[in-house]
Order: sequence, then structure tokens, then C-alpha cells
Amino acid sequence: MNSLAGKVLFTAISVLYPLIIYCGLEFFGLSPRRLSLLLLSLAFFHFLNFTRNKSSLDRWRMIVLVMLVLVCAVVAFAADNILFVKFYPVLVNLSLLAFFAFTLWRPPNFAFRMALLGDKALKDSPSKNAVENYCRKVTIVWCFFFVFNSVVATFTVFMGSDKIWSLYNGLISYIFVGLIFAVEYLVRKKVQRKMQSYVPVCDLEQSSRPEGALVSFEADGVDNKTWRDFVSDVSKVRYHLEARENTPWILHCEDSYFFTVALLAMLQSGRKALVTANRQDAFIKEIRKPEYGFLTDEPFAGGAATMIQDVLAENVAGGPVKFDKFDKSKAEMVMYTSGTTGEPKAVYKLFMQFENELFELVKVFGNDWVNRKVFSTVNHHHIYGLLFTALLPIATGLPFRRHRIDFPTEFANLLGTSAVVASSPAFLKRLAAETNQPIGFECAPIIYSSGGPLPVEVAQKASELTGFWPMEIYGSTETGGIAYRQSKNGAVWTPFEVCKMSVAENGCLNIKSSYILEEDGFTTGDLVDLYDDGRFLLKGRSDSIVKIEEKRISLPEVENRLKQTGLVRDVRVVPMVGKRQYLAAAIVLNDAGLEKFAGSPKLAINNYFHDYLLQFIENTVSPKKWRYLEELPQNTEGKIRMRDVQALFNLAESSNFKILKFRREPGVWTGKILFPSTSDYYDGHFPEFKLLPAVVQVDMVLRIARNFLDVPKALSKIHRTKFAGPILPDVPVILNVKYDAESAKVSFTYTHVPAAENDVPKILSNGSLTMNSEESLG
Amino acid sequence: MEDLNNRIKNVIIESLELEDITPADIVDSAPIFGKNEKGEGLGLDSIDALELGIAIKDKFGVSFSSEKEETKKHFASVDALAAYISEHSKG
Repeated sequence: MNSLAGKVLFTAISVLYPLIIYCGLEFFGLSPRRLSLLLLSLAFFHFLNFTRNKSSLDRWRMIVLVMLVLVCAVVAFAADNILFVKFYPVLVNLSLLAFFAFTLWRPPNFAFRMALLGDKALKDSPSKNAVENYCRKVTIVWCFFFVFNSVVATFTVFMGSDKIWSLYNGLISYIFVGLIFAVEYLVRKKVQRKMQSYVPVCDLEQSSRPEGALVSFEADGVDNKTWRDFVSDVSKVRYHLEARENTPWILHCEDSYFFTVALLAMLQSGRKALVTANRQDAFIKEIRKPEYGFLTDEPFAGGAATMIQDVLAENVAGGPVKFDKFDKSKAEMVMYTSGTTGEPKAVYKLFMQFENELFELVKVFGNDWVNRKVFSTVNHHHIYGLLFTALLPIATGLPFRRHRIDFPTEFANLLGTSAVVASSPAFLKRLAAETNQPIGFECAPIIYSSGGPLPVEVAQKASELTGFWPMEIYGSTETGGIAYRQSKNGAVWTPFEVCKMSVAENGCLNIKSSYILEEDGFTTGDLVDLYDDGRFLLKGRSDSIVKIEEKRISLPEVENRLKQTGLVRDVRVVPMVGKRQYLAAAIVLNDAGLEKFAGSPKLAINNYFHDYLLQFIENTVSPKKWRYLEELPQNTEGKIRMRDVQALFNLAESSNFKILKFRREPGVWTGKILFPSTSDYYDGHFPEFKLLPAVVQVDMVLRIARNFLDVPKALSKIHRTKFAGPILPDVPVILNVKYDAESAKVSFTYTHVPAAENDVPKILSNGSLTMNSEESLG
Repeated sequence: MEDLNNRIKNVIIESLELEDITPADIVDSAPIFGKNEKGEGLGLDSIDALELGIAIKDKFGVSFSSEKEETKKHFASVDALAAYISEHSKG
């Protein structure tokens, strides 16, 4: 039975068995005993088959089948009974049923095994899970059919009619089988249309997509680009790059299409790509070595730059189109984030890392994207934007818009479009704040949000407005995407399958995945609660990098930049949350600074530092509020606490008073305050001899107490207050405020600033107030 | 017109909680976002832009088109904003 002929013979006998038996009975008048010899030979064939089968599961099935067929054959022979001869089709059906059902229990299921044999690439495709799921259903359908067929076949055995038995088992059941195949084929075609196509970016070739396929489009439809344009533009940039020495290229293009063309050209040409969102002159100067190229799509004043528009307008003489596969494990890129050391941090990437992540993304989300267009409200120079709005569209063939959506009102232009929108909490917050009516999309857009946590109430409002509850992606430049969630299902994050989570010694999340190069994985700055199943809850950041409206900024970096001015002795930058998130800087000027700014209004000093910082960092992350102090607030251990500095900014500074320095201990605040002569506080009182009115003194105490000492809002009683001396304009005083929570009593003292260390301070005024502690509870 | 400019300046200061800036510090013709070559301008950022758009809409009852370029034009300076508001709040 080694030969092909043997197999064919066996299959033919097995399939034609009902017909052969019928003919034997009807036309040749053979006895059941003689016919049982055929059954016996089939048992023998099955036996031969099973001895060559290696899988243990199939051995058992075959042994049982062979035994049963053998028993039937022997009984039929001994009793000369036709019934047992007719059992063969039933046995074959039951055996197949057992096998199919077994593969459902022990995957891969049978249909999927067949699919894998047919398409080797399937094993490594992001659609693998979806296909396997579909095949599971197909296998279940077959199981039902085998049950049905066994029942009917058994029935025909006992009906007694040879004709009906052979007609059903030799023809009708085969027709059923054919029908199931045909219907399954049609269903499969339909399901395939709903699966996202995908070609790894490194495997793209000119022939990967039809020439006329839309790659990128513009709001007005004028500057649409097709696959033909894309291939030819990449080729032009490659000619430009490859005509020059192999040096790294800095890349910044506002237009997503130009960006994608340039990036792919660099990758295919083997040029290292330094992708930067920050194109401030000073920053480019920092990261650029003399030999580096700089490819951009907007004029650049800070040095030599190549405009991509010029490159594309160049007429390349002849030459074949350059557009082919590249080695993803050799193609290099650099991304920029803010580092803890204060210098902008370069993150080195191999393209393989992006490619592996794309694969995961397509696997998890791909089938939601079919036939949609990609829009973005985020910057493609950062990893999330890069993946979602440049690389994914190219890998999946989904068209992407060339320019970002900047205003939520622009959604009104997308009503008839099936969209995928890569967005951020900052944008969605504005959307939620600005829009009152559901937007009326014909087909709800799929919205992703990444860059920071999206508040649940914003997510809910966004879902009411758009019909889609935003899908949040958690990740970082160093790690790529880590996990995802829709907050309507809770705050828990589900990691991508390839990400292996653990908790590092410092309580922070550690991730290992196919797109993290470090063997020990990457430890984030995020504190975490990790569940056994790999899902996790985030508990906040543990380091000094903060996010301001989704832009990551390192506080030490801003502080170091401010110190670089040479005018600053000490500085502390803190993140603040008001209507928006912003940074605030408390600065102690050095002698040079004091001299430079002597007599300048505060606004002028603010502007000086603001303008200086804009050379290096974006406006959004530049401090919005400023305080100029004599020294930074310290606690008794000499530590500067962030929350003390933040409290300083929570008390709005006006031109009426200035806090020059302060210290906060539990229940006690001591500070040096100046009331300038220009202050409104002196108005109306003694125009000739300005001094600070008592009511203002008390009011100041209340402001300080409420802001720094958590004192209840309402004042219930002012007790004895003694005024021993005047508080004069432009003469700083020391204010000491104490709060005793038990008695709800605030006591205060204004004193002179002592001239020397051991001078006994002269008291200017003192007194006490009782706060209404009931009120604060209500 | 003068009065409207002042009202706009107050809305800018209040809605963005600007410190250390009085209406007198804001130059009518200077850019609201970023700065001009003379170094004049408030230097606000894109997040402020959205916030301010809402505040202007609330205070003056005018809305802005979804066309980014056009909206940018109206927010070029306090003068430009005043012109746009006085033109659109009448009808």
C-alpha cells in the first residue's frame, strides 16, 4: 500500500462501497457472507493506514474504527447478515465526527489545519486568530453534519431497502457534502472581504497594490496621491539620498504624505532616519552633526536643509523605479523624547520594532478598519502618530489624510466618511467641551486616544457625540504600545499579546515584548497593580517626567534650560492643573539676573525667559506662570517639595503683593511679603502717608491661610487685633500664620524683617481669627 | 471699536487666567498666538487657542468656521478679532 495506486484504490472502494454492495446484491446475487469480504479488506486497508499514522490521537480513532469494521465484517460473515455489511458508512461518519470534535477540543481545529496546509503564510499573519475562529465554526458545522448523516445512515441500514441505503449513502450524502463545501466557499469569500489586508512595510513592493489605489488625500481632494504617485515619489527621494554619501538624515515634514514618502525612502535606502517633531533652530543644531542631512517640507532658517518638494520636482533622468523590500532588522531610526537627565533623549529604534508592533495592532484592531480612511489629530513624529497615521495606513492600504485635524469643528466635514481617527485626550477634551449635539456621523468613526489618560467623563461625552467610545492605547516611545482599554469596561488595561508584564523592584511596570530590544525589558516610570492574567491598573507616575496636554516634558530639562541663561541661581518647575495643564516656574535670580532685570516689570522678565525657552521646547510645555523669589520654599530637612511650590502658584499673584520667600510646616506658614507702593491696597487711605490698612492685613492672612494651610473658607469671628506699627510700601515684612484645626483658630503676626540674625523682630501687628469649620463640611 | 477691543482683551485675560498681563499690555495689532518680528504678541499656544475660541463664542455669541485657515485669520490680532465679532454679532 505504499503506492499512489493503492491509495486511490482504497479511497475508491471506500467511496463507492454503497454502490458496489448494491450491485453485488442486485446484479450478481452475492451473499452477505461474500460481500463481507469487501468489508474485511477495508478493515485491512484502514489498519495499514493507521500503522503509518504518527499522531497518537488518530491512532486511537483508527484502532476503534478498524476494530468496529472488523467486528461488522466478522459478524456479517458468520451470520451471513446484510445489516452488518451496511454499517460501514455509519462507522466512517462516526469516526470522522470523533476526529473533528476532538480537534475542537484540542486546537488547531480541523478546518484550520487544512487552511494552514493550504496557505503557509497564514501562520505568521495578523489575521491568524480571526481565520482560526472562522475555521472553528466551519468545523462545528461539519460535526453537526456528521451527526445528522450518521443518524440517517443508521436509519437506512434498518429500513431494509438496499436501494434506498445505497442511494442515500452512495449519492445523496455525497451531494450534501458537496453543498456544504459550496456554501462554505461563498461564506468564506464574504468573510475575507471583511478582513483587513496587510503587507509588512519592509515587504512592500511596487506590485503590492494596484497603481490607482488611493494612498493619501487632502480635505479638498485636489492633492490626492495614488500608489503610483507614492512609488514614484519614494523612488525620487531614494535617488536623491543614494546620490549622496551614506549619512543619517534628520526628518521633519508637517505633511503626512511627504513624511511617509521620505521615511520609506530613507528606510529602503538604508539611511538612518532621525525623526523629530521639534524643529526649533537650536534643537536641530544640537542633534545635528556636520555631515547629517535634513529633509523637511517647510523652509528652515537655522542651517542647510533639503526641501522634499524640490527633490520631488527634480527630473530624474531615466533609471528604473527604486522601490523594494528592505531588511527590517537593519533599518535604523531615532525618535526623541524628553529624558530625565534634562537633555532631550534620543531613543534608538530598529525598524523591526515598529514592524512587530504593527503586526500586533493589525491583529487586535485590523478587522475594524476595513474600507475606512485614516485621520489624525496627533503628530506623526511621535511614536503613536507614526504608527497609527503613517505606517499602519501604508501597511494596510488604508488612505490617510495629509494634514492633521486641528479643530473639533472639522469633524463636521467627515460626516459621510468611515473614519479611523488617531486622537489624544487633549483633542477629545476640547471636542467634549465645544460640542453639544451628537455630530451625526453616518458611520461612527473609530477613535483611538493615546498620550495620556483619557478621563472617563470625556470618553463618555465623546461616545455620545460620535457614537464610539474611544479606545485608549497605553505605551511610550521606548516600549511602543503596551496595552489598550475602553474605559466603559473599567480602568483595567489589557496588554497586547506579545507584551509580558512584571513589576519592577520600584513598583513600576516592566514590559518585555517582541518590539523591545532590551533583554531585561523596559521599566516604565508608571506605578502599577498587576493582575495574574497580565491585565493591570496604573497608579500614577513615579518620576519627574510629566505630561502637559499629552506632551511629555521632563521638569529637569526645563529647569536646566532656564539655568543656561546664566541669570538664574535656583529654579523649580512644577506641573499645574487648572482649566488646562501647564507648567509654572519659581525662579531665584542670581546677581547677574537681579542686575539685568532691575526696574523691569514682571511681564518683561516672564517674556525674556519664555522667549529663551522657545528655542528649545514647544510653547505648550513652556511655563505659563512665573514667580521670582528670594529663595525656594524648603522644609526643615532642606527639601524643596513640589506641592509647596504648587501651592504658591495656586495663590494668584497680583501687582498688589509679592511673596518673596516662605516656609510651610504643618499648621504654620512663615513668609516674607512685599506690598509695593503701586499697590491698590493703599488707595483712599492717607494719600500723603501710605500704610497698609488693617482690613488688607487681615485679608492677606485669610488668603495665605486658605491657600497654604487648608483652612475652611468662611470666617466666623475676628478676635483682638493689635496694631503696633505701620506696614510701609516697598518695605518687606515677615508674616507668620498659624492654624489650629481643633479650635479652628488662625493666629497671625506681622513683624519687621530682622536686620541681623539675632535681632529680636519688632512686631507690627498681631491677632487671631476663628474660622467656621462647620461650613467647610457642608 | 475701542470698547470692544478692551472687552476682548479682558476675555483673553480672564478665560486663559493670564497672570501679570493687563489689557494695556496687549497691543491691538499684535499677534495673539506667537509673536511678530518686533517681538510683540501674547505668545499663546494651540491649547489656549481652543480655550479662547470657546470663550469668545460664549461671550460674543459668534462661532468660527471649521476651515482652519480662515479661523486662523480671525485670531490674528485683537483688531482682527474685533472686526470679525462686530461683523458677525449684528446679524
